[in-house]
Amino acid sequence: MLSSNAEKIYWLSRYVERAENTARLVNVNFDLLLDIPHDSVSDFIHLVEITGDLEQFNSILLDEKMFYSSSVSAMKNVVLNFIIFNSDNLGSISYSLEMAKYNSRHLRTMLPKTAWEQFNKLHTEFSLSDKENYNSEVMHQIIRNSKTFFATISDAMHRDHVFDFIKLGRFIERADMLSRIIEDQILRKEAKIPKYYENLQWMSVLKSVNGFESFKKINKGELKQSNVLDFMVKLKEFPRSIIFCINRLIAVTKYLPNSENLKLKLIKIKKQAVKLNEKSTDKQILVILDLLQLGLIDLHLEIEKKFFNRSPI
Amino acid sequence: MNKTFSYQQSIFFDEYIDSKSSPRKGYNRSIDFFHSLSPSERAYYTNLCESSISSMGVTFQLDANELQDRSWPLDLIPRIIASSKWQLIQKGLVQRVKALNYFINDVYNDQVFLEKNPVLKELILESSNFLPECMGIKPKNKVWSNICGTDLIRDDKGKFFVLEDNLRVPSGVAYMLENRNIMKRVIPNLFNSYAVNPIDDYPSQLYKCLSDASFSTNKNKKIVVLTPGVFNSAYFEHSYLAQQMGVELVEASDLYVSKNKNVLMKTINGPKKVDVIYRRIDDVFIDPKVWRKDSKLGIPGIYNAWKNKKIAIVNAPGSGVADDKAVYAFVPKMIKFYLREEPIISQVKTYVCAFKKDLNYVVNNIEKLVLKPVNESGGYGILIGPQSSKSELKKYKSKILDNPRNFVAQPLIKLSTSPTLINRKILPRHLDLRPFILSGKNSFVTKGGLTRVAMKRGSTIVNSSQGGGSKDTWITN
Repeated sequence: MLSSNAEKIYWLSRYVERAENTARLVNVNFDLLLDIPHDSVSDFIHLVEITGDLEQFNSILLDEKMFYSSSVSAMKNVVLNFIIFNSDNLGSISYSLEMAKYNSRHLRTMLPKTAWEQFNKLHTEFSLSDKENYNSEVMHQIIRNSKTFFATISDAMHRDHVFDFIKLGRFIERADMLSRIIEDQILRKEAKIPKYYENLQWMSVLKSVNGFESFKKINKGELKQSNVLDFMVKLKEFPRSIIFCINRLIAVTKYLPNSENLKLKLIKIKKQAVKLNEKSTDKQILVILDLLQLGLIDLHLEIEKKFFNRSPI
Repeated sequence: MNKTFSYQQSIFFDEYIDSKSSPRKGYNRSIDFFHSLSPSERAYYTNLCESSISSMGVTFQLDANELQDRSWPLDLIPRIIASSKWQLIQKGLVQRVKALNYFINDVYNDQVFLEKNPVLKELILESSNFLPECMGIKPKNKVWSNICGTDLIRDDKGKFFVLEDNLRVPSGVAYMLENRNIMKRVIPNLFNSYAVNPIDDYPSQLYKCLSDASFSTNKNKKIVVLTPGVFNSAYFEHSYLAQQMGVELVEASDLYVSKNKNVLMKTINGPKKVDVIYRRIDDVFIDPKVWRKDSKLGIPGIYNAWKNKKIAIVNAPGSGVADDKAVYAFVPKMIKFYLREEPIISQVKTYVCAFKKDLNYVVNNIEKLVLKPVNESGGYGILIGPQSSKSELKKYKSKILDNPRNFVAQPLIKLSTSPTLINRKILPRHLDLRPFILSGKNSFVTKGGLTRVAMKRGSTIVNSSQGGGSKDTWITN
């Protein structure tokens, strides 16, 4: 497999996964905001913090003060537009899908035809969506189309290196996003939200990873931070837990050439993740999450070095 | 039963109807089918065709600035040619391309033919298509243009003529293949009622032809298709052919030349040796160390690898030397010289103004002729005598007299027409035909080729970039 194609397929997969995760996050949060009476600014802005760059967001505002004192619905529109449609925002859905599209142009011959058509559907439907009158159906559409894209791939694709790099991109991206969602939730606690709402927020986090029902099955009783964290970080049976992602990545290394280092790094990340337990303080949790994210960055650099940057000898 | 056709035979030869406006033999079923369709049925089939094209992703790009790919324009009314007639054309094409390949090899080696034709020799040595760096090189089987696309037209008598030979990087074959797939999807019943010769073995023939071009002794040759990239107008074709052959589609940055002049491809398993490059970029862009220094599409050092037979480049750099319009005039002579045969397919009478006799005829009959500059392509700088004003003719005449060598002239051919669906009406439109000829150890000609059709009334411009369409070409028993 060409190094350049490995790189493109890896990024295609990351960007589609990223667009899907962002869409989930947006949907669940705006659902939640209907329930909570509160300091709305921090609730909107934290979305910008998870997905992108707060400084950039502030720089697009014509008048910062005016924005922060405007009505909830006016604010909502500005934030949504930034996260969904502003392609200068490197964390926006629009940017992710444009980059995915760019990479996909080279990959036509490597994807099953059905997957290729599904990807085009995802991109086209999003670019045709109404940018002025946002409704949550746009997000549902992205989630649906992205799921169908990956499902088509696992259903129709020959298990070769193309498939391996799709997995690499997808699960690294997912683990990264998971750690950021958790991190953000812990940080938000400092905003002194009443306990009752805090639980509501953890519920929304679970929903954003499609995990509420599964969580309920295993945790019959009260919804507690430690239970949620255990579920989202360590439950190896749940496809949107960090450990699940890492295990998938370890499984992929079996099929890739010269991947011993990659595997070692993954095992290191896994060791970090399992350190988390119900006695961990918020501070300790943040340190663990930080190390996890650094581990993922290191992982990406290793992949770049091993597979993408083969230069003339 | 003599059905009334929707238009009458005119001064042009029509593929479907004869001079009495009755259907030609073999065309009845197709005519009946399209005539029996109600307007809403015609709309139905047209929509089905368009949606098949878009779901199959058959696209082309006008230019790099256009972000959205355009859907490929296919006209549903097929062009039909009897297989008995085609067999002769096929033979003629093989003969022609063989002679042209002998000629290119001769130009870059012994120049025997050029010695006998001093005027041509001078034209060649001055031509920008002649690459002196190729002197002394002999590609495998002495074939330079392994893949040739020859444009055929029919005159007002229905006789086939060669209009030009594309010996460099001919394109269109992927559309030929996809046209067939679409037709089978959209009008399977009509297709079934004819015994149409299949065309889908082209990718495997191409693979064989590319393998044949390598000097390597490996049993399985490593073949790649080299594309300038996704923004090239023919990118669809590049990726299509790579996929259909099961070979890698690469860009220049995926390849490099090692110290011992091997061409290597960067893969996740490390460098892999490449034996054959099917290049879809112009030859002068392929090595910035030798030709265009500003080329970002090339692989530095590949010329040396090629010269040392470490890599086969298809078509060979320099093969464009025979693409020249002045060279065209000499092809019948070449066939006689190299093969000792008479040309099987005619070509359009061409006056080479470098010859005194031809020059005299041209300046005295300029209003009847089509004038073409020798070194331009893509229809640039052409003057159509019968459609030009007196002052235009006068201006052009003085241009010719200033530099006769730069010009050739041909009589105006009345291009044949075929019924074509235009806004749900069946109307006559002009067309040509581009078959593809592969040369390796053996020769291969596609059954039919890509029929291109001018969609505007009276127009003879068939290029898809200028609003031309296409038709599936059926060679039938």
